[in-house]
Amino acid sequence: MRQVLSMTSDPAELARMRAWLRGELADGSLPRETCAQLLVAVGELCTNAIKHAYGGRAGQPIEVAVERGPDRIQIEVEDWGVPFDPERYVAPDLDAVPDHGLGLFLARTIADGFSWDTARAGGTRWTLIKYLPGRPPGASQTRSARERE
Amino acid sequence: MDIDVDRTGAVAVVAPKGELDMVVSDRLKRMLAELIEGGQPRVVVDLAGVAYIDSSGMGALVAAMKQARAAGGDVRLCGLQDDVRAIFEMTRLSKAMAIHPSRSDALASWG
Repeated sequence: MRQVLSMTSDPAELARMRAWLRGELADGSLPRETCAQLLVAVGELCTNAIKHAYGGRAGQPIEVAVERGPDRIQIEVEDWGVPFDPERYVAPDLDAVPDHGLGLFLARTIADGFSWDTARAGGTRWTLIKYLPGRPPGASQTRSARERE
Repeated sequence: MDIDVDRTGAVAVVAPKGELDMVVSDRLKRMLAELIEGGQPRVVVDLAGVAYIDSSGMGALVAAMKQARAAGGDVRLCGLQDDVRAIFEMTRLSKAMAIHPSRSDALASWG
């Protein structure tokens, strides 16, 4: 089941997004600390959309979607602004104690799977996967195979 | 979000409460810069009331720490909740910044 939140690029919307996502993740399938980290990861992607994709312009659309699989939770963050350009992305040098540029690093570190899609007409769709504890990737296929036997 | 400030002692204490995202971080960053530029480069930021921090919150603290150290002081942290501490550890800021268990420990660290 796919649940979608539509928000705008107003920074005050970030709190509403977190409250919604907290509710979506609150079924006990993920440890509490993992849920807290996912709030940060998704918050970073939304903040990125506000700051970079839309250059701080308020009122622009952002969608956050949560979809559950047998072994995972998949979260997408989508904007229709300036697409992410990996050629221009510079990973932070943690030894230099940076005061900016940690957002994507955090999202990537927290997620088990992390990707982006810019092959659309505009904007970026970020996809973040977190596997459920005790259910290894591919658990669903294994089960289907057993059911067929 | 509320940000309490106590500047009565030799060390200023700043205590934000709530969620430190980009909205609050800009305020916190300005507040810390004003304190340091106003001649109070010794600052304790008490995070006991902060349940959520993202990269903009950490960026505000790091920027203030660098500014304070350049002015002969420091920004020292205390009261980190587990979820907040986890984010500091991921970014290794837990090694770069002075982090104390409680406000009294942080204040005592200046002797």
